[in-house]
Amino acid sequence: MTSLFEYNFMRLAFAAILIITPLLGILGTMVVQKKMAFFSDALGHSALTGIALGLLLGITGPSLAMLLYGLVFALLLNAIQRHSLSSTDTVISVFASGSTAIGLAILSKGGNISSYSALLIGDILSITRSEVFSLLGILLVTVLFWCLCANRLVAISIHPTMARSANISVRLMENVFSLLIAAVVMLSIRWVGILLISALLIIPAASSRNISCNMREYHVYSLIFSMFSGVIGLVTSYYSNVATGPMIVIVASIIYFATYFYGRRVK
Amino acid sequence: MKNAKMAREKAVFVFLLLSCIALFFLGSTAIYLKSTKSVYSADAEKESFVITASFYPVYIAALNVAGDIDGVEVRNLTQPQTGCLHDYQLTTEDMKAMADSDVLLINGGGIESFVSKVAKTYPKLSIINLSASFAELPEEDEEEEDHDHEDAAHEDADHEDADHDHDHDHGEQNSHFWMDIDLYRKEVESMEEGLSKRDPVHADQYKKNAEAYLKKLEALQSEEAELKEALSGKKVVVFHEAFLYLAEDLDMQVTMTMDLDEERQVSAGEVRQVLDALALSDDKIIFAERTYGEEMGDRMTEEASATVIYLDPLTRPKDGQESEQDGYLLAMQENFDQIRTTLLGAEE
Repeated sequence: MTSLFEYNFMRLAFAAILIITPLLGILGTMVVQKKMAFFSDALGHSALTGIALGLLLGITGPSLAMLLYGLVFALLLNAIQRHSLSSTDTVISVFASGSTAIGLAILSKGGNISSYSALLIGDILSITRSEVFSLLGILLVTVLFWCLCANRLVAISIHPTMARSANISVRLMENVFSLLIAAVVMLSIRWVGILLISALLIIPAASSRNISCNMREYHVYSLIFSMFSGVIGLVTSYYSNVATGPMIVIVASIIYFATYFYGRRVK
Repeated sequence: MKNAKMAREKAVFVFLLLSCIALFFLGSTAIYLKSTKSVYSADAEKESFVITASFYPVYIAALNVAGDIDGVEVRNLTQPQTGCLHDYQLTTEDMKAMADSDVLLINGGGIESFVSKVAKTYPKLSIINLSASFAELPEEDEEEEDHDHEDAAHEDADHEDADHDHDHDHGEQNSHFWMDIDLYRKEVESMEEGLSKRDPVHADQYKKNAEAYLKKLEALQSEEAELKEALSGKKVVVFHEAFLYLAEDLDMQVTMTMDLDEERQVSAGEVRQVLDALALSDDKIIFAERTYGEEMGDRMTEEASATVIYLDPLTRPKDGQESEQDGYLLAMQENFDQIRTTLLGAEE
């Protein structure tokens, strides 16, 4: 076990993993609770459109364009979902396909379609110091938001009408939460990729849900599973030269199935 | 009471589960490591001057200039089969390889889109851009790296067609410089210069090797000149940007470029444009790469009875072959032979 931290890029990647995994682990609990798995996935795919539109409008730096597009996309999705006749997953699916198609169409005009695959897998090894700090920033924002609003979000997810009668602004809360997810997805997608974001948002929280019987356990186990998968995946990928993202997802999936069977036996 | 017991049981289960997974993954990694020694950590003694080339054509040139010198080690950063580097993702192994290198040789022109990141991560690594003398490295602000395709038409004025906005993310210009033997020779020269400056101990040998290699390239050029006489002015459609340089060298007129490669999706409009371009020309010649152009080439033969010549863009060694010193010379020779037998052989 030598030389893991000998290289600067590994130190940064490690720091990034230690920030991203708890971040997605926490957010994931609510994403799973509110059945928004598909939502975050759609957001990830729409990042491509953000890049393409950014190029078209001449906004420098895909990050900014992606972030703006992600935020608008999330709000729009929320608004339509609220007034829609068809079910949520249908609306999201329409949005996601439409948006991805626009992105692909614009990029294919320039023959640039291959940049899509880079977003799919991500490139955690090339993250820089300032980007690690921006991730740290959003982790702090998330934790703060959680301390203030977690209870209200849970109330909404259980029973919106009751939450409203308890004087909680459902629409505001939902919008803020969606914006937070959008920001997290867009800021981390180029480093971890769509695959890993969806996986880390969903799998640890779902595994934790398999076995936990109260909110505290739910959060704690989700955090543990998420960080554990991240660290083991990164270390393994370093020595075996397999791509980091998929390795992390494999570990997380194994945990999910183990907890699934344990949970079924106990409950 | 019961709840507390259950919670404890659960914690034990999670702990056991995670330990098992950790043991399994780290254990199998350790076994894997034992069975395959890492390429780069094996020769840990850092006495030789290590030159890393970014990809195949650069590597071949580096082999010729520095390959046989004692105390100098030439490595290829990417696997030989990687081909063109657009959207290449550096692996942990690559990063390690670069950390141990003294010099990184790049083709430049924006092909190595990762280079700005590398330069930031390893400020001490000296990077030689072989095309610096004749092409500008497109400005790569890191946010932009591989997404700049502002419909920049080619600057080469002699390609009359306006349909050149299909270039993928090699930056704003056609960076397959090695396909132009003149430019390739310039690359070899700047490689020799750069290496001699950074490793003066071996400067004489670099010089001698480079001169020998340049001679061989000259011979190749005289062959090219013969072909040029016969083909000058003929119209051609190219399916790979790399062949633009070749067509230009042969003084052929490129009526249409369609860049087919790994992940390119072709639109119906483009296919129509190619067919239009073929219909307008009497020669109906297409230069294509076999790997990615064959299907399209077949379709063109069928629909427009075009003559498709499959050439090697030299982004990787021939199938199943190792990288070798003469890889460039042989492949170029073969390209010329292909063109000669298909086009001239038929006429005589």
